[in-house]
Amino acid sequence: MNKIFSNINIKEAHIGGALALSFVLFNVIFWAYPFIWLVILSLSDWRFFDVPTFTGLKNFFIVMEDPEFWRSFWNVIRFLGFYIPIVLACSLAFAFGLQHIGRGKVFIALCFLLAHISSGVAYSLVFTKIFSSTGPLNTFMMDWFGFAIPWLSSPSMAMFSISLVVTWKFVGYYGLILYSGLMAIPKEIYDAAKLDNTPALTRLFRITVPMINSQLIMVLVFAITVAFAIFTEPYMMTGGGPMESTNMPMLVMYETAFSRLQPGRAALMAIIIAVASYVVIRLMRKILEKDVELV
Amino acid sequence: MMKFRKKSIGSWVITITMYLLALTWLYPYIWMVMASIKPTTEIFNTSLFSGSFTIENYRFLFDSAEKLNRPFLKSLFNSFFITLSVTASVVITSAFIGYAMAKISFWGRQQMNNFILFQMVVPSMMLMIPLFILIKQLGLINTYSAMILPMMMSGWGIFMMSQAFKGTPNDYIDAAKLDRASLKQIVFNLMIPLNKSIVAIVALFTFTGTWDNFMWPLIVISDVDMMPLSVLLATFSRQYGVYVGPVMAGSVLQALPLVLLFIVFRKYFLQGMSLSLK
Repeated sequence: MNKIFSNINIKEAHIGGALALSFVLFNVIFWAYPFIWLVILSLSDWRFFDVPTFTGLKNFFIVMEDPEFWRSFWNVIRFLGFYIPIVLACSLAFAFGLQHIGRGKVFIALCFLLAHISSGVAYSLVFTKIFSSTGPLNTFMMDWFGFAIPWLSSPSMAMFSISLVVTWKFVGYYGLILYSGLMAIPKEIYDAAKLDNTPALTRLFRITVPMINSQLIMVLVFAITVAFAIFTEPYMMTGGGPMESTNMPMLVMYETAFSRLQPGRAALMAIIIAVASYVVIRLMRKILEKDVELV
Repeated sequence: MMKFRKKSIGSWVITITMYLLALTWLYPYIWMVMASIKPTTEIFNTSLFSGSFTIENYRFLFDSAEKLNRPFLKSLFNSFFITLSVTASVVITSAFIGYAMAKISFWGRQQMNNFILFQMVVPSMMLMIPLFILIKQLGLINTYSAMILPMMMSGWGIFMMSQAFKGTPNDYIDAAKLDRASLKQIVFNLMIPLNKSIVAIVALFTFTGTWDNFMWPLIVISDVDMMPLSVLLATFSRQYGVYVGPVMAGSVLQALPLVLLFIVFRKYFLQGMSLSLK
């Protein structure tokens, strides 16, 4: 009996190894090989057709002096400046609201999550029309307030509008994350605070926010990742304009590689963007992350 | 008594507000569908549910869009073909390799586990340009393979499946082996049925991710006949954006499969999303 099993096990180990090997092989081709190219590219001058020539750090100096690239990082900060407060407030409100609903909780969550599942190209087109100068939103503004807003055509508004769209997409998901955090807070803490007559705002900032610290951090990590990786929305809605006000790093990378035909510089940009987003996330965690323990 | 009443009024207000907000969140979808069945001239001039309704926009998309060299029917087929191929491949490879990772001890398993975890943190956008070069070197630009091959296996899928498979008792597998079940039979007739929800989650999220993928096909496909719907729709809207009605009809086509999938399999989507909460 045991012998049969041990024979099977040896045979199995081979099968397991073979299966694993297929994944390794796949990654050698579609992951490791591109990775090596990434390094080579970032150090060479190449235009897709000729032979890459090694230029060392030349790409680095060119990218460092590229105002468009720096502008895109400034745009990431602008995006986060709009996006983080709006999306945090909305998803917190969503999570609190969900807590107080008796019936139809799942239905409401699904309505919000439907936005999360939708296709980027489709909703970008829809919002372009909704935000357009004669679109339904401006018609509504004209009827009720007597003025229209240049949602996508003004350099100061376009980024705000895009962050609204991204908020629309992610509130359901972020809200669900925060909601799971809220559900984990023991009710006794609030009861004790109420006995001490702690005002509601103090309860929010002294109990709720610290207790859902890990969920908030998770939401912030997602938000920062989105800010550095966003492509479809600005590409479809503004094309990076007006006046480069929504030109995000991914767009600059795409343009550099395929319009300016400088894949080497674009590869280096990709590395810098990845490192930057990693550093920003680490910094954020270092500043805001706290080990909350219930004693 | 007084306090009790006050609270219940408050929670009623919250409930009604939440329902209104939920409807607001659906507004873009509703507007998109309504715009797609109105003549373009009426889209911006009529209120949401009024105006004359036609299917002209859809006809325009499928008929005269051909004359504008925008084969939408073909692109719809392309999207389905690519998405279903990638989904099937990811589910099957993840199930087999996930089974190996969970239930077979072989040399290098731990290293492989570490590699998968490492790979999941490296942003895929970093490799996009060199991957394009690889596809170009292989002569696969403007082919289905360009959109399918690099996505055929997924570290995330393997990770999810192996985590779930670890929970399946070994007794079941041993019993199957005593009955001389082959590896294929164990995976297809035992592991997949027993871990239905995780398989569904991997399949659904792979499907939505591939269907929604825009940047990668935009880079590797320039032939309109090979474009998936997302890219064709984008190029169509860039050139013929004034045809708001047809553009919205195209958006409906692009959004609809995901919406239907979400409504039908909402249970698994919710489960999948809450998996990442732990």
